[in-house]
Amino acid sequence: MDTVHRPHFIRSSTIVWLALMFLTLITYAIGEAKLGGWGVMLMVLGTAVIKVQMVSDHFMGLRRTRWLWRGIVLGWLLLVAGLVTIAYLSAVK
Amino acid sequence: MPPGDLAIWFFIFAELLAFGIFFVAYAFARAHNVELFNESQQHLNIASGAINTLVLITSSYFVVRAVAAIRQNLARECARWIAAAIGMGGVFLVIKVIEFHAKFSAGISLSTNTFYMFYLSLTIFHFMHVILGMVILAAVMLKARSGGYSGENHAGVETGASYWHMVDMVWIILFPLVYVIH
Repeated sequence: MDTVHRPHFIRSSTIVWLALMFLTLITYAIGEAKLGGWGVMLMVLGTAVIKVQMVSDHFMGLRRTRWLWRGIVLGWLLLVAGLVTIAYLSAVK
Repeated sequence: MPPGDLAIWFFIFAELLAFGIFFVAYAFARAHNVELFNESQQHLNIASGAINTLVLITSSYFVVRAVAAIRQNLARECARWIAAAIGMGGVFLVIKVIEFHAKFSAGISLSTNTFYMFYLSLTIFHFMHVILGMVILAAVMLKARSGGYSGENHAGVETGASYWHMVDMVWIILFPLVYVIH
């Protein structure tokens, strides 16, 4: 985290927080609308992937660490999202 | 190095692995019972799931503010932000208990069907992690309040924060996976 420019860091964290809230509301709206299908599934899951990456990078602060640490979380995220996608697409068939 | 104590990161990665296996198992179980999962999912309260997502995200933001405060040597401010995060964790638990009560009152249990077995197992498993996270944050808050951390020495705050963010990250996937996607 940026300790020298604290106001800037807080401002950027606040923007990330608001973006996460906004993306959550989109997912909620899709859920309430009962939208389905693989396109919607990919969009909702993709939104979750983006949100997790935002938490990892900006809240956990992993974007300022060695690639290894960021890569483990990102690798886990992509592996889980990929396998979930395969499972859902195989169910459609 | 990642923020906080290195040991917590091995714990976090182990937790992510456990939840990841759970999520993938849910998805493949659904692939073999699509109609059952879709029908059962319709009885979940999407609003409470969404509100709990907003609550956990906000609590994570409060923890970020706590870490930023202690890095500026503002221990009291740090403790206040952590207290706010714990409060949001409490809100999450209350909403979840209400949700569980509604399901159990309707006669739903782990043995009702495969969907509810996963829904209850996953959410109760996560529920326990929220409680553990709150206990960790409470210990960090008390130490911060008593002057145990400073601008130079605050690894404990980062350690608690990292664990709490992990709890948030897992719910961010769990909510759409179990409540929304069909």
